[in-house]
Amino acid sequence: MRPAIEPGDWLLVDPTPIHWPRRGSIVVFREPDGDALAVKRVAAGPGDRVPFADGYLELADDEAWLMSDASAELTAAAGFGEPIDSRRYGPVPVDLLVGRAWFRYAPFRRIGRIAPGPRLSDGVGPAARGNGRV
Amino acid sequence: MFRLTRWLAPTATARAHCDLPCGVYDPEQARIEAESCFRIMEKYQANADETFRARAIGIKEERAELVKHHLDVLWHDYFKPEHLEAVPNLHELFWNANKQVSKVKASVDPADGQKLLDLINDVDAAWKATGGPGKTRVAGRPG
Repeated sequence: MRPAIEPGDWLLVDPTPIHWPRRGSIVVFREPDGDALAVKRVAAGPGDRVPFADGYLELADDEAWLMSDASAELTAAAGFGEPIDSRRYGPVPVDLLVGRAWFRYAPFRRIGRIAPGPRLSDGVGPAARGNGRV
Repeated sequence: MFRLTRWLAPTATARAHCDLPCGVYDPEQARIEAESCFRIMEKYQANADETFRARAIGIKEERAELVKHHLDVLWHDYFKPEHLEAVPNLHELFWNANKQVSKVKASVDPADGQKLLDLINDVDAAWKATGGPGKTRVAGRPG
């Protein structure tokens, strides 16, 4: 999640949200396919359309599309494979949301609020009513 | 100070991890499991004992699942979009091979097992056509 979150950052996580926070927020959640505690950015929220394969995926009322900030090129340059996020495990239901990371309290030089960042820019937005999921 | 730090330290660690592929791929893994299916089909045909046959089907099911797994790893992790230039029918090839594994699960006819082996040979040819042996295997294997 560089540069927003660096390895070793200490984060305050607001555990109260019962809905997915707004797009661009950084969230802590349980991964759908492994139960591991993970941190990603909300790229798209309930009702949004996400470009998928040759069409769109329409997120349900309780689902979000969570993405890594790092691109596949960036992780490859660091010697890793592709980022593991919704492109791997699909939409994430709100049941798996643990909380919203909103403040970094360590290390000292990086203390501060975690500002909402980029989100999926193209092709994401509220879906037209009546469209089925693809 | 140390005590304060310990008191402030987070209680849980969240990860933003990536894949960490070993980068070793070879259709031989799928082929060996498919050969097991083929041999078990032959043994099934040669033995009328009910218990033997029941065990043979169970083992064939397990091996076939492993064939699917190894094919999927090759398809999803080794092959990249640029390989479609060298192997234009790549997706159709994997589609057919995985469909044939499903057929092998339901069948006890060695001819179905042979067909799967032939399809895996095609996957092997695609792997070789895209430089798989040099790119993915560790040098030093006995010939």
